[in-house]
Amino acid sequence: MSTTETPTGTPPAPSGGVPATPPTPPQPAPASNSVTLTIDGQAVTVPKGTNVLEAARTLGIDIAAFCYHPGLPIVAQCRQCLVSVEKNPKLQPSCQQVCGDNMVVHTTDKQSTLARQQMLEFTLLNHPVDCPICDKAGECTLQKLYFDHDNQDSRVDVPKVHKDKAVDLGPTVVLDQERCILCSRCIRTCDVVAGQHQLEFANRGDHEILTTAPGEQLDNPYSLNTVDVCPVGALTAKDFRFTMRAWELEATPSVCNGCATGCNVEIHHKNGRAWRLVPRHNPDVNDYWMCDEGRFTYHDLREERLAAALVDGLPAGWDRALRAAADGLAIGRTSGQFAVVFSALHTNEDNFALAKLAQAWGVSHFYVAGKPPVPARADGRLRVADINPNMAGVKAITEALGLTVKPVYELDPSIRGLLALGDILPGVDPGRLKELEYVAITAHERGPVPHAKVALPTSDWAETSGTITNNKGHVQRMHAAFAPPGQAIAGWEVIVRLASISSTKLSWSHVRDVFKDMTAAVPAWNGLTWAREARPLALRFAGSRG
Amino acid sequence: MSASHHEEETHDMGLKVLSTSTIHPRVRTVQVSRPEAQDTTFLAATAKGLGVTLKHFARNLFLPMKKLAKRNAAGAPTDETWRNEIETVQYPEEKVTYPERFRGLHRLTLREDGNVRCVACMCCPTVCPAHCITIIPAETDDKGIEKKPAIFEIDELRCVVCGLCVEACPCDAIRMDTGMHARPVEDRADAIETRETMMGRGVRSIAVQGGEGPDWRAHGHEVTKTDVNR
Repeated sequence: MSTTETPTGTPPAPSGGVPATPPTPPQPAPASNSVTLTIDGQAVTVPKGTNVLEAARTLGIDIAAFCYHPGLPIVAQCRQCLVSVEKNPKLQPSCQQVCGDNMVVHTTDKQSTLARQQMLEFTLLNHPVDCPICDKAGECTLQKLYFDHDNQDSRVDVPKVHKDKAVDLGPTVVLDQERCILCSRCIRTCDVVAGQHQLEFANRGDHEILTTAPGEQLDNPYSLNTVDVCPVGALTAKDFRFTMRAWELEATPSVCNGCATGCNVEIHHKNGRAWRLVPRHNPDVNDYWMCDEGRFTYHDLREERLAAALVDGLPAGWDRALRAAADGLAIGRTSGQFAVVFSALHTNEDNFALAKLAQAWGVSHFYVAGKPPVPARADGRLRVADINPNMAGVKAITEALGLTVKPVYELDPSIRGLLALGDILPGVDPGRLKELEYVAITAHERGPVPHAKVALPTSDWAETSGTITNNKGHVQRMHAAFAPPGQAIAGWEVIVRLASISSTKLSWSHVRDVFKDMTAAVPAWNGLTWAREARPLALRFAGSRG
Repeated sequence: MSASHHEEETHDMGLKVLSTSTIHPRVRTVQVSRPEAQDTTFLAATAKGLGVTLKHFARNLFLPMKKLAKRNAAGAPTDETWRNEIETVQYPEEKVTYPERFRGLHRLTLREDGNVRCVACMCCPTVCPAHCITIIPAETDDKGIEKKPAIFEIDELRCVVCGLCVEACPCDAIRMDTGMHARPVEDRADAIETRETMMGRGVRSIAVQGGEGPDWRAHGHEVTKTDVNR
């Protein structure tokens, strides 16, 4: 992964959530469970069973490799990671070679340097070198290793073997058979992550190709992970293909809002717009993977966005909209027929701020709005039925504050005023909404929002700095990748403005102040800390990804 | 200059000190060297300049006549023969030839089938120090090439004519060898060159993608990637 930004706000042990890059960090373990070996003259102690490649990475020695991936079974197929081990006459693939006590490994001696260079030359024999067209250029392992270890002109003077280009593998992925270096990472990814053996090699030698079974497609719900792990540009995502070059993008760590799993992601963005989501390593939540549906959630960031405050459906400035909202809500508030709707789609901070405002106003009716579950999604892997990113967070906050919360479809007939977070109110009749003093705090203008008397624009998840709580109770931090459109501001800030215009004191000036008050109020979250804002990482300097 | 070389007291900067302040020793009146009258009138320089002009005048007047007379004797004189001897260039009609490496307006080169060579690899907007290149890529039906620029625009007002885009191009798709100056425009938007305009200046390039390919030995060292078939 190109960033190791910790999803802070993660609860203390056991769910640390710190994505350590190698799964086996060096630690002084009991003598029986650890081995000490020497790599390039440096001694290192690793747990028993660690391979030489991972042991070298803990020393900062990055052994070149194509087929090895820490999240996949080891096959030692690409022969790129050969190293020499003393007292062993032949070079050993360091991914498969398990560390032994007192082992002496050399990665820079003449023999292994030559092997590395010649293996690269062999890999490049029939590679088309169409980097100007290839989407992987800039984050390609083959490019990186060529510059690091080979760096010579091709010596081949016979025509290259040509294979099929732009092969349609399924609904999400396109294959270029010429670029494929036959590392089998994608095959293993389908086996391990999706549990479906959909890809396989066919033919032999120069003519070996990656393919699906005749008539079959690569259509599992985790298919785009194959694109991530592909060390070259053989597999490209139809969704991202030919839109951006990797080096133009910047990466900001965040959390997927597609479902309650809360997979850690990187938002790859440019010009105030997300272009793709890729998984970020977190062994407690999603390991190295995420589902295809989650990857496509970034499209929604540009759909039907509310960029200005609306009063009766017409754009208004913040001042007028806030006054209209406060006046409208005051009627319902004084009569006691007033309800607040929390949103399972908004952050912990937004919901906590709303709860505090409601408490200050003396509201007694509380509801929660969330998308209905999709049981067909649940597969025992990463996808779950609950497609709300923060239902657990709303539950924790309202329980800690002692609020009785009902689903929003049980909206009491006596309610006259409604202050609702989010753009969904499932089960509420739109005709009824028109009669209510309904104020929406939302990022999108859709669903019930057009019926609102006042709609106040907020940032959507990728534009928000805040935390959400997944179904395992991990409070995970999202960083703002870019600015929200138009006049939109963070949800908690809308609530602070609404409080201030109705003479209620909510004295937060930064989202970390809300977070601090919230973690103090929710016993399960006591002691959580707020990390500094992550600076977007320019992928231009990130090296290869895959 | 006429400053005396016999100064009793000299300042660090070689200036003659006329008097020193009693209040502060470092406050001094110094004599600075000014040009003498004969220099300030520029008489000598004017005369010299006139001399050059007269020389060109004489050359323009007499040399072509002399040559013409000579050629007349030899027979078959043409207008061009004596006109070439004149120093003055009749600008709008005549133009001096620019050096071979002069960087003019951009052009986009073409493939054998007339399509644009550019594959929208984004190397030129990446390297451009003036951020004047805008490319929006699109997919083509040609499975061998796959990618093309749907939009390729260069803002000639922003362009600093550095030629880095040409250096960066891996496909010989953009060149600055037109020898043309940026057009004068009345509206800033008109200074933006579009893909079609630059393809209109385009020439066919026979460069091979990824170098000369497997036949590189046959090509020897004589082959140039920039062979042009106009």
